Parts: sequence; structure tokens; C-alpha cells
Amino acid sequence: MDIAYAIEILAKILVVFGFVLVAVIFVVWMERKVLGHMQDRIGPKRVGPYGLLQTIADGMKLFMKEDILPSQADKVLYFIAPGISIVTALAAAAVIPFGDSVTLFGRAVPLHVADVNIAILFLLGATSMGVYGVVLGGWASNSKYPLLGGLRSSAQMISYELAQGISLVPVILMTGSLSLATIARAQEHLWFVVPQFFAFVIYVICAVAETNRAPFDLAEAETELVAGFHTEFSSMKFALYFLSEYANMMVVAAVAITVFLGAWHGPVLPGPVWFLIKLVLFLFFYIWLRATFPRLRYDQLMAFGWKVLLPASLVNLAVTAVVVVLKG
Amino acid sequence: MLEALLFAMFAGTAIGCALGVVFHRNPVHCALLLVGVLLNLAGIFILLHAQFVAALQVIVYAGAIMVLFLFVVMLLNVKGETPLLTPGAAKFFGFLFALIVFVEMLWTVLQPGGDAGAPAAQAPLPAEFGSPAALGRVLYTVWLYPFEITSILLLVAVVGAVVLAKRKFI
Repeated sequence: MDIAYAIEILAKILVVFGFVLVAVIFVVWMERKVLGHMQDRIGPKRVGPYGLLQTIADGMKLFMKEDILPSQADKVLYFIAPGISIVTALAAAAVIPFGDSVTLFGRAVPLHVADVNIAILFLLGATSMGVYGVVLGGWASNSKYPLLGGLRSSAQMISYELAQGISLVPVILMTGSLSLATIARAQEHLWFVVPQFFAFVIYVICAVAETNRAPFDLAEAETELVAGFHTEFSSMKFALYFLSEYANMMVVAAVAITVFLGAWHGPVLPGPVWFLIKLVLFLFFYIWLRATFPRLRYDQLMAFGWKVLLPASLVNLAVTAVVVVLKG
Repeated sequence: MLEALLFAMFAGTAIGCALGVVFHRNPVHCALLLVGVLLNLAGIFILLHAQFVAALQVIVYAGAIMVLFLFVVMLLNVKGETPLLTPGAAKFFGFLFALIVFVEMLWTVLQPGGDAGAPAAQAPLPAEFGSPAALGRVLYTVWLYPFEITSILLLVAVVGAVVLAKRKFI
């Protein structure tokens, strides 16, 4: 392994993780601003121009807060749980390609941290490990509401993970590859959202449920569960959960863009810029959903996942498989 | 060199976690240590160029089965359970089964020649070794019957689960 390669990899890791962590600041701001305007109010506007620095101020406040350890908590797991959440979210970001390879200093640099040939499985693995952050956070607090919230959201995440995984398989069948970079390159002329529209719809619904966002935010249904699994967390531990929720949002959005919405392909502008534009639009759509739909009831959520989404994704997969075989 | 270091790291952590599973008092911590064992095994699979198996190990075992395990441990309070066997009998059977497995593994490792005994480094691996395509091809040709029999076993388990869940207990 030569030095240049090591520097390249390190630089990419720093760029990707740095981007995710900094972008969270702006996504939170965007969410509050967009939600505000959709609900006929203004949203944050005091700190910085257009309230842009509001999230930084909030982050500083969380830093300064007292770190409370519940007396009956399982101390080790209480400390580890938020860490698991953020690590899995950031690990998933490592395999997402955000542009075609570029030439820098005479080296061809592919624009993703790692092009593993099983990138999609890596992503699914990382998200399935993310469940532990939630369920352990709920359990380690040793308190009623967090436990109920943790169990609820982990059951939800496991249920929707299935349909989410299966909705990605038709695209794998069409390209014959599990590598996200290969899938992205295959969409130069036709985005997969056109032939695989149903898979795209299923993926988007599952992605919302997977990240525990409204209208699937049963985990933190305020009226029933206070704040769900992170009720007992304060200070930076709460901030880590908050961070990982938004990092997860960006990861699932980036996967939707890479697999269905043409990745970095687009006219005129360079690839990474297109990727960023699509990311912002997708996150806007996410926030729009939150402002539009009321929360589901828990039994509706489970019935919808198992009786509608899973069969639909299986049928879609079977049809795609037949078509792929017939076309040769 | 790097490979040996990584192997030592994964194997050492796996053994440490496995000891933790056996000796730790808190059942939830035991379940988590078992997750640690499974993750380290996935690392070893990657060192053996079996990325697909490693990914499945993480998704299926560490990600799905162990979460359900954890659910059960958390919801049932295991402390109050009366053990099925007396401590003496449990120890006896534990040692017996451990011994059988150990002898089996030793026998496999000590076999001269054959695929199982050959170090992977000696023969160059085909380029797509361990890829999903290669694995799928082998699974549907050479190992078709074991594969189908396993799927029937899983089907029986699914039907059994549904029957048990539908039964009225009161």
C-alpha cells in the first residue's frame, strides 16, 4: 500500500464524515424553516441570517447541559447505545458514491470511500445494526416509556427493513451487480425510477419508517410515550441520537438517489453538484411528508408493513425476475 | 502480515466475547456479547474472501435473529426461571457436547489434503470467489439438494410458528 493511496482514503473519509456531520446542521435548520412556513409561521430567524446559525446555538446549548445518568440505568449500555446509533449511520455513508471518478494530481480518484462489491448488503447490514442503538437505549434507561418506545421502534425497523431490502432487489436483478457504483453508472440514460416505479415507492415509504420519521414516528409518539427511547437521555447523548437520526435520513435519501434517481447523472453541472441538488430535494420531500400526514396507529403501521408493503415488494420482485429472464 | 494481525484481532475478540457470553451474569449483556462474537466471525469471513457470507452473517444473525433474542430476554424476566436441568447435569452435558464438537473440529482440521485442510494462500483464488454470483451458482448446482431440504426445514418452522401464534392459550 503506497502513501498516496492511504492519503486519498483518509481524505475521502474525512470529507464524507465531515459532510454528513456539517450537513446535519443545515438539514435541521431546513426542517424547522420549511415546517414553519408550511404551518403558516416563520420558523427560526433570530440567530444569524435567516436563522441559519440556530442549530449551532442549540448544539452549543446541548454541549453545556448537565449529563444526567439515571440512577437505575445500566451504565455501560447507557453510554454505548447512542454511540452504536451514530457509528452505524456514518458507516453506511461510507459506501455511497457521490460522483464519477475524477482525476486529481494525476490519479483517478473514485468519489466514494469504499467500493465494496456488496455495497447494498453492507448498507442493509449497517441499518440492521442500527436497531441496537434504539433498543438498547430504551432498555438501558430502565424506565417505562423508553422501554416501550425502544421495543416499538425496533419492531417497526425490523418489519420495514424486509420490504426495504426486497424493494432494492429488482434493481440488482436488472444491473446484475450489488455495487452501488455499478448501479449508478447503469443509469446514465434511463433512471431506474422509470422501469421500477413501484419499487421506488415502496423504498421511499420504508425509508421513512426505517428512520422513525413522521408519519411513522411511533417510537416517539409524544402523547403516549413522552419521547420514546431517548426520554432519559440528556446533553450530548441526546445530541448523538439526534445527529444519527438526521445522518440516517441523509443516508436513506442518498441510497434512493443512487439506486433509483440517476445518482450523479444530470446535464451541464458536475456530478457531485447534481447529487447535492437531488439530496436537498429529497430531504425537502421528507419534511413535506412530516408536515402533511398525521401519525399512524401502531396496529395500522404493522399491518401496513407486513400485509401491504411486503407482499407488494415480493410481487414486484417476481415480475421483474420473469421480465429479466425473458429479455435474456 | 496485515492479514495475520487482523485475524488475531478478530479471533481474539471473538474468543473474549464468547467467554463473556458464558460467564457474564446479566442475560442482556450476554446476548450483546454474542452479537460481538457474530460480528467478529463476519470479519474472519471477509479475511477468507467470503464477503457475501460475511454480509449475510451481519444482516441475518447479528441484525435480525439476535434482536429477537434480545427482545425475548428483555421482556421475559429470565432471573425467575427454574432451570431445566440440575447444575450438575447441565455441567455434564455441556462438557460432553463441547467435547464432541471439539473432537469433530480437530478431526476436520487434521485431515490430510482435501479442501478443508488446505491453507487458502497456497492456491490462487478465482477472481470472483465468494461473490454472490459464484455462491449462487454453486448453491443451485452442486449443493441443490441440501439447499432445498434446508428450505423445507425453514418452511416447516414458519408453519409451526404460525400455528403456535394462532393457538388460544386461555
